[in-house]
Amino acid sequence: MTSYERLLCAVAGQKPDRAPAAPEVFGVTARLCGRRIRDYVSDGRVIAESQTAVRAELGYDILFAFADLSVEAEALGCSLIFEDDAYPAVQAPIVRDKGDIAWLALPDPSRSGRMPVVTEACRLLREAAGSECVIAACVMGPVSTASQLMGLEAFLYLLADRPLDAGRLLDFTEQTTLEYGKGLIAAGAHCLVVFDPIASPAVLPPALFALHEAPRLMRIFERFKSEGALISWVSIAGATQKILPLFPKLGIDLATIDYEVPVAEGFRLAGGMALNGNIKPFSFVSAQPGEIKQMARACLRDAGERRNFIAGSGCEVPVESGRENLRAFVEAVKEVG
Amino acid sequence: MINREADIHPLIEAVVNGENQLAVTLAERLVNSGFPVERLIHDGLTAALRSLDAKCSNEEFNLLEIMLSGRAMMAVMDQVVARRLPALEQVQAPPERTIILGTIKGDIHELGKHIAKMLFKANGFKVVDLGKDVRPENFVKAAIEEGAAYIGVSSLITLTIPCIREIRPMLEAEGAKHITVIAGGAALQQACPEDLNVDIVAKNVFDVLRCLCPEQPSQTRASLRGFA
Repeated sequence: MTSYERLLCAVAGQKPDRAPAAPEVFGVTARLCGRRIRDYVSDGRVIAESQTAVRAELGYDILFAFADLSVEAEALGCSLIFEDDAYPAVQAPIVRDKGDIAWLALPDPSRSGRMPVVTEACRLLREAAGSECVIAACVMGPVSTASQLMGLEAFLYLLADRPLDAGRLLDFTEQTTLEYGKGLIAAGAHCLVVFDPIASPAVLPPALFALHEAPRLMRIFERFKSEGALISWVSIAGATQKILPLFPKLGIDLATIDYEVPVAEGFRLAGGMALNGNIKPFSFVSAQPGEIKQMARACLRDAGERRNFIAGSGCEVPVESGRENLRAFVEAVKEVG
Repeated sequence: MINREADIHPLIEAVVNGENQLAVTLAERLVNSGFPVERLIHDGLTAALRSLDAKCSNEEFNLLEIMLSGRAMMAVMDQVVARRLPALEQVQAPPERTIILGTIKGDIHELGKHIAKMLFKANGFKVVDLGKDVRPENFVKAAIEEGAAYIGVSSLITLTIPCIREIRPMLEAEGAKHITVIAGGAALQQACPEDLNVDIVAKNVFDVLRCLCPEQPSQTRASLRGFA
């Protein structure tokens, strides 16, 4: 089986030749190629070359078209702070009192900020991999983009104190997610991953997730499917036990579970849908290769006979992770089969 | 005169639920009816803190709920308590209750630190907030100048770990190895103290408070002092 066939097979719950390995590797691929993170997030060719080179060396089953978590916020007008060897971060909020967004315009993926960088990476990856490997493009979810536009503290207070105003801001960021995602699908992405770290139950109470996030994710993924996405994937880190039961209603094919959610419990709570996870991300920095192998084997053991488990990390594999740890992870997945 | 334990339950509930205006109204009503202000703090606000602590211990930590409860608590302290007991605001926290807080260099995320600051203050600590993107040497300098017992370093991302690891050797070089270094934040909580070269890695701020003040949260005057 090719990586493409293996991943699609697992997501569909049919039996692949072995469990796919799909760790969330982004900037770490640049580091492993001796490139600066600043170059990775600013140049679509560097993204495509780094992703392709590290996958070719280590042999996992996915390619990511993704730069960093601030692409959408920048495209909407936020200034970013760039460091040479770290991801950029939003310098200051641009939406003030009451979530006033009347002056904001939706982004154009072909022109706004660094969206063209990532769409170019997506196009290059698709050209290079064709249908041998799934190209997963990543977009930010509505809650996290809203938090960047307003500042997390101000946004959370707005959500609590003025839910209608917060809802209008979220409607706008939902449209942003949609526009960017459509651009990435047009550039060749097979799979759309929505990251929404601020929608994690550690930050957003599950009741507010059900009210504000779940219906928006449903609309987003319905639209992505109609635009041609083969796989719809949600990645929300943390202890997501209280929101996992909502996932089967989101119209998604795959969800990431973090290390705080045991694999068997994740399957039970998410109604048996395909799951990806759940190695503790920092282990790729702090552990030894032998320990990583043990963790990978434990994940696969916990998944039991389920065909729709995709071995991966609970969240992004940190940029400073060791090459040998990633290699050990992939080897363990292949050994278990 | 209202002075029964049951009379304060609605206030505790309002604080825990994050209803700041209701909490102020209830606190004002209690005090105007003769309820002692110190009991309002001890039996009301610290009881609310205890309730939040218990919730976090049950793996139900939620940032928004903590923010709203903290805001309600601060509103009661600022609008009801401080007006009636202004003299206590001047009391200085001793060095063993002083903590230097900051987000380490390379990270500009501050919300977690803001929450920690609020809850340290509520537990009677003097907090010196260095802000964000703080160099390791500045944590050390501030801790020595303030005679602080603790440095609290926060980060949301793991790329900052090399900077965090520098704090302990700098303290030792300055003859200040008695200062306890505490790390916290979304990414750091996956690490162990040895990874970060710190004394404590905290899962959340309540985790730290349980370590630093096992008597917490029954610190009537300390709690009040913290809001000065």
